[in-house]
Amino acid sequence: MPDSARGDAETRGLGDAGTRRPDDAVMFTVSPCHRVPASLVLALVLLLVSYTSAVAQPQRLVVIKCDGLPYDMVDKLARQHDSQSGKSVLPWIDHIFYQRGARLSNFYVRGMSLSAPSWSLLETGQHLQIKGNVEFDRYTLRSYDYLNFFPLYLGGIVGARVDMPAVEILDSLGLPLLVDAYAHDERYMTMSLFLRGPRYATLQSGLQNKFLRPPKELFDEWTMGFELRNALTDQLLRETLQKLANPKLRYVDLFIPDFDHIAHHNNDKESQIFVLRQMDSVIGQVWTAIQKSPQANETALVLVSDHGFNTDDKIYSQGYNIVKLLGSSAGGGHHVITKRRLMLDYSIKGVNPLVPLITTTTPDSYYLKGESTVYPTAMLDFDGNERASLHLRDSDLNLLHILLQQLQRNELRPEVRKAAIGGFFSVIDRRRAEWKQKLTELRNELGALNVAIEEQGKLWELQPKKFTKEQQNAGLDDAAKRIWVQYDRWRIEQREYTAYVQALSNLLSLSSEAFTPSKVRIRDVIPKESMGDRNSIDKLQNYVYGLAPNGLVLNGDGSLDLARSFLRLDYIAMLHGVTVRNNVQRGITNRPVDLIATRLTRDLVLPLINEGDIDEDVIWVSAGADRQALLLSRRGADGQLSLRYLPVSNLRHDADGKLQFKLIDWQAGLPLQMFEDPNLAVPGNNRVAWLSQWHTDTEWLQALHRTHYSNGFVGLHEELARHHNERLSPDDPGLSDREKLMRHYARRKRELVEPDLLIVANDHWNFDVRGFNPGGNHGSFFRISTHSVFMIAGGANTKIPQALTIEEPYDSLSLMPTLLALTGELRDDNTPAPRLLNKGFRRFPGRVVKELLPNGLNNKHTTTNGVNAAP
Amino acid sequence: MSFQRIRPRQRSASLVFAFLLVISPIFSTISRASGFNDPPTAAPTVDETNPAAVLSQIMRLERIEVEGGAELITVFARLDGLESTNNDKWVPLVSILRDTLGDNTVENNRLRYVWPLTYTRPSLKQKIAAAIPFFYARVGNKDRTTRTPPPALDLASPEREVWNKIFWAALQNILLDPYGTPIKASTSSYRRNTSDYRKSHIIRALSVLALYQEVEGQSAFSRDEMATIQARLMLTDKAFGGLVDDSNLQSYYAKRTAATRDARGHNWELLRQRAETESLYFEPLVMPDGSATHAFLWVAKRDLLKQQGARFSGRFLNIANPWTDKRLLKWDGYVETRYFDADNQPVASDAPGAEAVEMIPLGLYGLDNPKIPMLLVDFRDNYNPKKREMSRRVINDVTRNVLSVSKFGNMPYFLGKTVFDFVTGRRGMDISQPSRLATYSQLKLLLALNKAMEPALRSEVSGRLESISVNPFENGINAEANIALEQYAALVAFAKDPKGLAAKIEQDRRAEMLPLQHGSKAQIAFRVLNVLTFGKYVHREEREGDMEHRLDIARRLEYHTRFLEQIAKSSAEVDITWNLDDVKRSLQFIADHGEQADGAAAAVTAKIFARTKDNETRRTCLDGLARIRSSKARNELLRISKNIDVDQTLRDLASEYLRGVRRDQPIAVTTLGGGTPIAVGQP
Repeated sequence: MPDSARGDAETRGLGDAGTRRPDDAVMFTVSPCHRVPASLVLALVLLLVSYTSAVAQPQRLVVIKCDGLPYDMVDKLARQHDSQSGKSVLPWIDHIFYQRGARLSNFYVRGMSLSAPSWSLLETGQHLQIKGNVEFDRYTLRSYDYLNFFPLYLGGIVGARVDMPAVEILDSLGLPLLVDAYAHDERYMTMSLFLRGPRYATLQSGLQNKFLRPPKELFDEWTMGFELRNALTDQLLRETLQKLANPKLRYVDLFIPDFDHIAHHNNDKESQIFVLRQMDSVIGQVWTAIQKSPQANETALVLVSDHGFNTDDKIYSQGYNIVKLLGSSAGGGHHVITKRRLMLDYSIKGVNPLVPLITTTTPDSYYLKGESTVYPTAMLDFDGNERASLHLRDSDLNLLHILLQQLQRNELRPEVRKAAIGGFFSVIDRRRAEWKQKLTELRNELGALNVAIEEQGKLWELQPKKFTKEQQNAGLDDAAKRIWVQYDRWRIEQREYTAYVQALSNLLSLSSEAFTPSKVRIRDVIPKESMGDRNSIDKLQNYVYGLAPNGLVLNGDGSLDLARSFLRLDYIAMLHGVTVRNNVQRGITNRPVDLIATRLTRDLVLPLINEGDIDEDVIWVSAGADRQALLLSRRGADGQLSLRYLPVSNLRHDADGKLQFKLIDWQAGLPLQMFEDPNLAVPGNNRVAWLSQWHTDTEWLQALHRTHYSNGFVGLHEELARHHNERLSPDDPGLSDREKLMRHYARRKRELVEPDLLIVANDHWNFDVRGFNPGGNHGSFFRISTHSVFMIAGGANTKIPQALTIEEPYDSLSLMPTLLALTGELRDDNTPAPRLLNKGFRRFPGRVVKELLPNGLNNKHTTTNGVNAAP
Repeated sequence: MSFQRIRPRQRSASLVFAFLLVISPIFSTISRASGFNDPPTAAPTVDETNPAAVLSQIMRLERIEVEGGAELITVFARLDGLESTNNDKWVPLVSILRDTLGDNTVENNRLRYVWPLTYTRPSLKQKIAAAIPFFYARVGNKDRTTRTPPPALDLASPEREVWNKIFWAALQNILLDPYGTPIKASTSSYRRNTSDYRKSHIIRALSVLALYQEVEGQSAFSRDEMATIQARLMLTDKAFGGLVDDSNLQSYYAKRTAATRDARGHNWELLRQRAETESLYFEPLVMPDGSATHAFLWVAKRDLLKQQGARFSGRFLNIANPWTDKRLLKWDGYVETRYFDADNQPVASDAPGAEAVEMIPLGLYGLDNPKIPMLLVDFRDNYNPKKREMSRRVINDVTRNVLSVSKFGNMPYFLGKTVFDFVTGRRGMDISQPSRLATYSQLKLLLALNKAMEPALRSEVSGRLESISVNPFENGINAEANIALEQYAALVAFAKDPKGLAAKIEQDRRAEMLPLQHGSKAQIAFRVLNVLTFGKYVHREEREGDMEHRLDIARRLEYHTRFLEQIAKSSAEVDITWNLDDVKRSLQFIADHGEQADGAAAAVTAKIFARTKDNETRRTCLDGLARIRSSKARNELLRISKNIDVDQTLRDLASEYLRGVRRDQPIAVTTLGGGTPIAVGQP
């Protein structure tokens, strides 16, 4: 259903709901067979009770979204008294949430403490589909830059973009945002990573208001230095305060990025407190505006943050440059692609807001000197800083590339040439079946895509090109533009994937019989600007990055010795082995890399473990050769996720591709350091027994959340496992062939952004090379980075508890269902109300924070809003 | 002006410039000879991990009462790094005068003069050198002084500084510049040196105050006072900084401090990473408060052999490639032995497996500069940092004083300079960058305070540091300590002399009476006279018996008005964010002295009315508005009386006040901090 149509339906539905709700309650409580006076009295009482229950819910949500606001710091300051004012250091947070509201003292990011993924969980309430602030497509190098606003604003001028990239992805996956629960004219959202529609008027008004001030104020600011950055945030606040007076709006949000910004730069408490106090003042202004509005009693104010912050006023966060490592001869001599410019603030090109792919060329490349733009061989997303995602080009493509280069040399001896050709085709033959199947699938998918493009083009032609003010207010213009954006994106994708398909087809079409290497253009057979397929563990531990110093080496039988002819690297060992000499702060290790993790498949692992029924995805996490673990998962009949941690060591691939590892006992030093953590809270005294068993994700969270790595175990699974999504499930019944193909295609695109390795930094280390973040960072699984904020307070009719601290641990998946439950849009089984089901909302996997519900646990009236029947 | 016409001048200027460039290092060498080598004095043992405890051992405060109701507060520091001083190395560094009107209440205090005690009037030789165009070197130290030091700033009238600057700039452009290049170049050089010299000592004063702020125990200055002093000092480097409203000082201080710490952290990390990349060793140098403001780069002798001929990128480091430098292989300069484990981590000499490694210092950098760490000492090339520092001065002096080209009068030059500045600035090239004045000045303080550095290294650094100075007014680090002691003695004598500081305070108070006696037009006229007479004429009222009392009321009104403005500005609802007793106390004071209160007091009273829900506070606001003799107050009352969002009772009350029927409202007794009733009831 197009947004516009949905918008109308929503408007009607909500408008009706607003007045119909008491009548619905009558229908529900008064049965026709109870028409005697006594029953009538009872019915009237019930009516009154149910009416009270129905209206005892927030009718309006105001959500303040803070980037990187850490709970512990807020809590400490809110409790601390300011000597000057005699009040709390954060008086508004204290007043609103501590005295008149409720707060979750153990609210954690599920997954990485990283903005785009974390907000995607908070905004959708569904499992993670966006796994980084930046993602790269391995086949085409297309990047998904979820943080950059400029393409949206510049593209929006010519109608080429409507939404932020993260919103586009979630839309394509059929995952609606919290804001989508409200009709277009009932909601107001400020700038955020999940922005729908550029806000040019906000930018314009921000600048105007910046300069249209009393001359003395303007003069003073000019003297002290203009801060244009504030122009936008001030304007967003102004608009939010204005919008709060509009009774029609039922959802308002305000994004505050300030703490994250300052904390990356400054580790001193004074600077951070200064910003926190400014944020507190903003919260106070919002609260005051709510109180002045007619809906004050029905409004709930929510304060939420996407992650915590690893900052310490005695320690600078130290950066380690993985890009440089990969470019060095010891690191494989890669030309490395990034989406952030290295040393951005020191580069002239850094002023370009439309960041292209950045290629860091290395002079130490072993076989691709001068070809960095055509053949980059590594991609690194270091965004998030306490972690990085690494894609390496398919090691076999490297090998074939090197062999082709050798074969095109005239001076190669005939026997070596013959062996090289043999080796070349042996590798192709080894991969032939796999590549052929992928090519066939991709060709079929591109065929379906072609049809979709045609249809989308026609649909676009049918769209009106001009819209009235009313239509614009209803969002119809944006809905039409989205059709164009989809059309445009599909055409680009079609072109890019076709180029990859063509090159790989060319490679597979080579035959050893009619092979004349000198006539082969390498660029025609080795896909340009592509990483190819994801590397297996075997490849990552034996990665080909150059020709051996002695050139091609032959076996006794005259065949090519593939082991000795190439330089190979074990990337996992290499990354774990990195040390630095300039480590001048006490208590910090000189090893920047803490954990390395990747996803394996069940088939590889099953033969080696005593488990039968486990999920397809197995996560391998390594803290060194002798300290590793496998994270297993499985689903119960009710869909409940359970996890198991299996300590192992020395995981390797055999020559024949089989996995090998040794099961080891629980001990200190294993990844995530659960066993030795004094804050591990397991029932009974036997840690080993408890840790060795299957437990639900909730049980793991309860046991682990106070440990140094907090819910890192659950987080690693969330980050690296693939999660079910309807739009990515081609096997659902009732789909046409073309629909199936399009779902295959959508799934492929998501799978192609999966990196080879997730690299997590040690405490107080970061991988930011765009600049420097000495103040602090986030992105890891450390509790300090994942411990975030969820506080709520409401007017008298919302029945939100007052002065309540909820100690029970919850994670990001809980926010969305909790807010919907509070507003009466969620059933007890976590399924959204039919109105929302029609909008694409689906059952939520997270737990509702039941402590917040007005009538305690399992109260149908408070959570169902009169909706009982399953849709 | 065409290039053809100025060519001969250019040529001669170039010759002079070239000559001066050649001789500048000689002066540096001369000044280096006055270094110091004494080992540091042992200090009492304290918890080294607690900066506040460390600072309380090396910093202290001294207060001297000044006749007439003022106090001279001086921050002393124990400069263990100095060669020798009297007084057990305790050296007075900054004095601040606080006019208290003779009582103990803080509301009527007025901070006045700031004396960085190392800041002195230059000697004749220094003055002559400062007036020589293109002369970028020190000429030795000022010997002795018996005069009271010049204050760097009057905190009570910072705007005076701005008018003076404007006046001198106009004088330069209108009167002096037309006399030709020699006069123009000479006078502008002199002015530049004077300004830089003052800045350098203001920066030092700021560093001292920042350190003192961290000392354990009760401070002589309130948090607000400290922020005000530091913000005003920071604003001295802005052309119109003295005109910035007091209400902005707290946030300006917070933002500037955050920006400085941001730059420090970035430079720390930039230098550490660059050292790592180039296989060098990074070592931060910390101030006693634990903040790393400077850092050394070292090279290990063992690496010199291993890395011979290796690639080296000098970007941001701005030093020559150590791997191709033959001098390092037979280095006879300073060398230090450190111990490292197999993982290349520093360990104690007796640690198992510790390997002794000889280290050679390559450079010393300042970390507080914006954008990039600033090279202050190049241990292989003394002239390197100096020429980088001079590049900005040379470009400015040549274009302005020789070529007479201005950014604002010549479009090609404007474009060229803009592009050049953008490229060098953006890429962090140490050419024509902001001056290293701040970090240079801080390093002097650090060297004086730091006792951990090896004496030989300290001596080496301080000797080389003097050579970087491009200002003839600058004195050596030891000479400055002596100057501080002598100037402080003179200042104390001046403070104790009834005709000295006490008389000056009285003069200032008489000048402060100006707005209490005259309207705005008269005030402007007197200000113009002040500027036109080079600040010599200051209008002062005749002393009257009730002067102190009137000033007391005026200052308190200003205090309470500012306090309420701060509250109103910071919060949408003062009941939540401030103690209402404090708010009411300020409102009551304004109400009690409504006769003397002005429009600003009325405006802020109305703001508080709008930002409180407390009935009593609102009534106090209305009462205050009724008593303030200002049209603003009446307008605010009128507005409130017509505001339908306001409770009807309060609107009625506002109307009654407007009609004058509520003048019999009894007002509570207000007392001074000392307990003396100052106002009882209301007529």
